[in-house]
Amino acid sequence: MTRNLLKHDSVSDFLEILATFGELHGPVLTEDGVTAFRPLGPGIDLFLTYDRTLIPPKKYLLPPRDTVLTFAPDEDYRLPVAAVSETILVGLHPCDLQGIAYLDKVFMGDRIDPLYHARRTALTLIGLSCEPDENCFCGDLSAAETHGCDLFMRQLPDGFSLRDNTPKGTAILNRLTPILAEGEPPEAASRTCAMAAAIQQASARGETYGESALWDEFAGRCLSCGACSLCCPTCYCFDVREYGALDGETTMRLREWDNCLFKDHGEVAGGFNFRKSRQERFQYRYRHKYLGFGPTRGIVSCVGCGRCRVVCPVGIDLLELFKEHDDEKRP
Amino acid sequence: MRNDRDPTIAPLPATIIGLKTLSADTALFRLTLENSEGDRFDFNPGQFIQLSVPSGGEVPISLAGPPRLHNSFEVCVRRVGHVTDMLHRLLPGDRLGVRGPFGNGFPLGEWTGRNILLIAGGLGIAPLRSLLYALLMQREGFGEITLMYGAREPSAILFKEELAELSGRRDMHLFLTVDFAQEESPSGLACNTGLLPTLLRGVNFGTTNTVAAVCGPPALYRCILEELQELGIPAEHIYLSLERRMKCGVGLCCHCAVGDLFCCSDGPVFSYSQLKGISGAI
Ligand SMILES: Cc1cc2nc3c(=O)[nH]c(=O)nc-3n(C[C@H](O)[C@H](O)[C@H](O)COP(=O)(O)OP(=O)(O)OC[C@H]3O[C@@H](n4cnc5c(N)ncnc54)[C@H](O)[C@@H]3O)c2cc1C
Ligand code: SF4
Ligand code: SF4
Ligand code: FES
Repeated sequence: MTRNLLKHDSVSDFLEILATFGELHGPVLTEDGVTAFRPLGPGIDLFLTYDRTLIPPKKYLLPPRDTVLTFAPDEDYRLPVAAVSETILVGLHPCDLQGIAYLDKVFMGDRIDPLYHARRTALTLIGLSCEPDENCFCGDLSAAETHGCDLFMRQLPDGFSLRDNTPKGTAILNRLTPILAEGEPPEAASRTCAMAAAIQQASARGETYGESALWDEFAGRCLSCGACSLCCPTCYCFDVREYGALDGETTMRLREWDNCLFKDHGEVAGGFNFRKSRQERFQYRYRHKYLGFGPTRGIVSCVGCGRCRVVCPVGIDLLELFKEHDDEKRP
Repeated sequence: MRNDRDPTIAPLPATIIGLKTLSADTALFRLTLENSEGDRFDFNPGQFIQLSVPSGGEVPISLAGPPRLHNSFEVCVRRVGHVTDMLHRLLPGDRLGVRGPFGNGFPLGEWTGRNILLIAGGLGIAPLRSLLYALLMQREGFGEITLMYGAREPSAILFKEELAELSGRRDMHLFLTVDFAQEESPSGLACNTGLLPTLLRGVNFGTTNTVAAVCGPPALYRCILEELQELGIPAEHIYLSLERRMKCGVGLCCHCAVGDLFCCSDGPVFSYSQLKGISGAI
């Protein structure tokens, strides 16, 4: 028996203690009925039985618009003096944690992005176990559910069992001891998902299903609205734009979320486009999600959160590709 | 330490110290970095910089001059849009920002002892000029060196005086062609009319043990790759420099992905054998 059980009636004390470590954010149900990661505070209830948020937690690390450089004639280009405050993000599902672990690989791998790094080090992640719904396909994530989070909360009938994974997590757990009860040592439940396994296998084979008739079907319906990539926890591609101030001298360079489903993504000077057709753009996104690019080559970046299936206004579901393939193999 | 002074992240201040108009829309800029490291700006031909024009933005531009020039380097830029327009309005003494050099460049080290064929279409001459000078600087290391350069029309031929000088050299071959021959003759240079593939077909030069480096618009690649292979140059000895609209230059923004490669960090120079199976690469 260890002192790691957070009973349901201690959750508000828990949040109070967490808030002493930094600005507290978590999933809430907004007035518009959308689940979103928001700042928590008096009168804003943490919503721990949520399925998925609309916008993934990547917004904390890669804001939709971010100043990357400032320019003034006497200073030249400079990195912005980022005012990054300690943030505690509570209630992250394993898929979202894995999404952050993927972004960490990209932005803090060989080449460390200073802005991402500053935000990431100021971010404390508190994971939460979840129950999959019909749109999830995260597969064996549960086995590695902690995915680098600082503290993990496993849902139990009478509350949550807590497990610390990092020194940050241990520091928090130590402060929580007074409000915790004796509980069983948490056991990581394992969950398998046929779809996730099929994707992993296809990726290992470098399979792109180039011949599938589904591409035409998808591309025929797709609106190029970009929602599927906007809401994807691992889509991170960005555009860079420079905005001059009215004084005509100082400028700010911003990076903004971009979208490979937009037509101008593959364009070069003179108007030539390497991905002119919607189908090409569609397949391009597929390749990236499931086969990886650049330094993340071979790593499946789809974490199975199901957001893209939920948000697509015309019901496009890339998993049909894998299903189709599976069906062919069945007698 | 990655910080303000890291040229992969924050552009280093540079000054325009030379400016030469090459055609109606293209000019050669000579730049020098203002920091102390600027007295040596080393790069491999085929590498590029991310060039910042304050208030305009940043664009990838090939290093066009010979490498290891003391204290300065050259870029050849065509005015095609927002940023390059602003650049063309600047004068010597004006300041820019420079990140880089980025990318791999041409693998000169692997080419020792081989014949080298350079094929430039239009602005593709920019990186190949750098490559040519690098080859000529170590002339004894290579076999025959041939430059084939095609431009839209005589007035679009860049570096005319230099080409005239090069055409007099005995240690290399130079062939020029223009798509359309209009009224103007290219200042006394011997010049063919027709597209580069036609030129290639009509010329005799050693193709065994030959490495080809190609740079130009996508249309050029589409029509010249077959020709080169028919001449007996294998796909792994054909090198292409690809263009993409680059945003970060360092493998982060995904704008330049070519298959599962990044043009900015795995390229921009790829062998044709690397690109063959990738849809949308060329
Ligand atoms: C590795 C590499 C090396 C390069 N080397 C050189 C070099 O040595 N010299 C050189 O001159 N160039 C070079 N380029 C190309 C150069 O980067 C581009 O010409 C430059 O980025 C154009 O920037 P711009 O802001 O001036 O043009 P932009 O404003 O981006 O416009 C470029 C063209 O695209 C059109 N355009 C822009 N946005 C859109 C849109 N949304 N829809 C339709 N059309 C649009 C514009 O009308 C314009 O004609 C290189 C590129 C790469 C990748
Ligand atoms: S591709 Fe879809 S299911 Fe996969 S991580 Fe992105 S949004 Fe989630
Ligand atoms: S959400 Fe659906 S319609 Fe919109 S871009 Fe994605 S696949 Fe196309
Ligand atoms: S330019 Fe950003 S990834 Fe290559």
